[in-house]
Amino acid sequence: MRWLRPAILAALLAVTGYPLVWMTFSALRTEGDLRAQPFALPMRPSWENYRAVFAGAGFGRAYVNSLLVACAAVAVSTGAAAAAAFAFARMRFRGREALFLLFLAGMIIPPHVTLISLNRLMGPGGLDLKDTYLALIGPYAGFALPMSVLILRTAFEEMPRDLEDAARLDGCGAFGIFWHVALPLARPALATVVIFNALTIWNEFAFALTLVSDRGMRTLPLALWEFKGERGMMLGQTCAALCLAVLPLLAVYFAAQRQMIRGLTAGAVKG
Amino acid sequence: MGSAEVSEGRSEAPRRDARPPGDGLRAGAQGDGLRAWLFVLPALAIYALFVLAPVADSFRMSLFHWSSAGATPEWVGTANFARLARDGVFWSALWHNGLLLGMSLAVQIPAALLLATLLSYPIRGRALFRTVFFAPMVMPSVAIAVLWSYVYLPEQGLLDGVIRLFNASFGGDWLGSPRTALACVFVTICWRFTGFYMVLFMAGIASIPEELYDAARMDGASEWECFRHITLPMLRPMIAVAATLCVIGSLKYFDLVYMMAQGAPEESRELLATYMYRLAFESGQGRFGYAAAVAVALFAVAFAVAGTVTWWSRRRDE
Repeated sequence: MRWLRPAILAALLAVTGYPLVWMTFSALRTEGDLRAQPFALPMRPSWENYRAVFAGAGFGRAYVNSLLVACAAVAVSTGAAAAAAFAFARMRFRGREALFLLFLAGMIIPPHVTLISLNRLMGPGGLDLKDTYLALIGPYAGFALPMSVLILRTAFEEMPRDLEDAARLDGCGAFGIFWHVALPLARPALATVVIFNALTIWNEFAFALTLVSDRGMRTLPLALWEFKGERGMMLGQTCAALCLAVLPLLAVYFAAQRQMIRGLTAGAVKG
Repeated sequence: MGSAEVSEGRSEAPRRDARPPGDGLRAGAQGDGLRAWLFVLPALAIYALFVLAPVADSFRMSLFHWSSAGATPEWVGTANFARLARDGVFWSALWHNGLLLGMSLAVQIPAALLLATLLSYPIRGRALFRTVFFAPMVMPSVAIAVLWSYVYLPEQGLLDGVIRLFNASFGGDWLGSPRTALACVFVTICWRFTGFYMVLFMAGIASIPEELYDAARMDGASEWECFRHITLPMLRPMIAVAATLCVIGSLKYFDLVYMMAQGAPEESRELLATYMYRLAFESGQGRFGYAAAVAVALFAVAFAVAGTVTWWSRRRDE
């Protein structure tokens, strides 16, 4: 029975990893080769598919768009969440518990429930922001708040009281304590929040699909989706596009997997 | 829900001081009042504008008949909900959400438990296993949908390719047939999320004291008995958290079902979220009022179930 455990694991590893390996190999094979023999190794690797993807699919622009949107939304939501969480953890005011519950409820709200109204809000009759970065940054930041507030509040509650008192003796006001004491102490929690939200926003699809129609403003998931619609029959090219979308992300994951796993799981479990 | 910290146990350092929670900054008898609100305001403004107001607006829109973006909404009271009650696709969508929930609980969590347990034994390359099993969690769901649509591609896909090794004329329309479409998407969903729960359980198992196992083995306990009487009870809180995440996640779910099951007939492919989305945004639809009614139903189901789960887990804790 000694071989049983590794055998089960290896089988599951093959099932999990196979589609990823197939994708990487297929991107390096020509279309004709793929049709004749879908499962062969890339004996003579060709970069033709990658060249075809870069010519005209607008992936570069989509990368930049995704990067801008994710950075802005994460910065805005993390900043706002940190301030609010600090008040929830270290200050006393009327309506604090009710307000905190209101934020918590956001974790149960199915995001798609808001799409119809957001579509109206961003439309010509409302803020008229469709096809701008702000149309995505706003809702992304809004939906990132509940989890961020919860995680950061826990972190701020753990801040030792002595530090706070010492800072006050040195003449720090509430903002000074927040900025010079609480934030540096909460760095691990901030990292968790940033990783969790950045990845969620980077991969988000449904909001982008409704709020962006201009080709130049597409995020990466949207570009990939439209690529499949236009050239999905070209197996090799689509696999190359998939690799372009996924491999950088997987590279970051392999490099910083400890932080990423903690960011994703701690983020979710706090919920 | 509790706030279990993963990977690193909560430090035992003084968590809060003797003073009651939140009695932080020195303040007058009324507390920090205005200053505290200034801290909360930015977050509240963003949250209200982009989350709360749209939710409220969806509730309002569900009382209107609004057939296209250009038309004027027309007040119809609860007519949309009356229609919903007779809408077969709506009920099938609700049923599919239930199926997804049941399947996630019955497949993903036990599979994750199995993987985490197998990886808790000394084994070469544990890091590699963990990395690969978790990798799908990091990928964008669009990429997963595109990739797996090639797995299920009739005749040329990876799945048919394997089957055709044994039966050369086989060709299944996996994602187009009403009988298999949703089941196939569910398999992909398991592929995506099982690694996530596995990592949760691995962290949980790592925090179980090794002495418990040593003592049990000394008393002649088998591996199965160790799992049954040590691992499982010690992991109980973690399993409860995972199950809660599973429940809430399956009610909200949208991505892979929307993207992969497009070709199947309506009654056999929708979840509440995807049905709502198609009613509002699919070309030739634009039934915003009716879609808002579906959104309200989805909202109500999510809160009812989440409330029940919270209430139930609290009662168990007491």
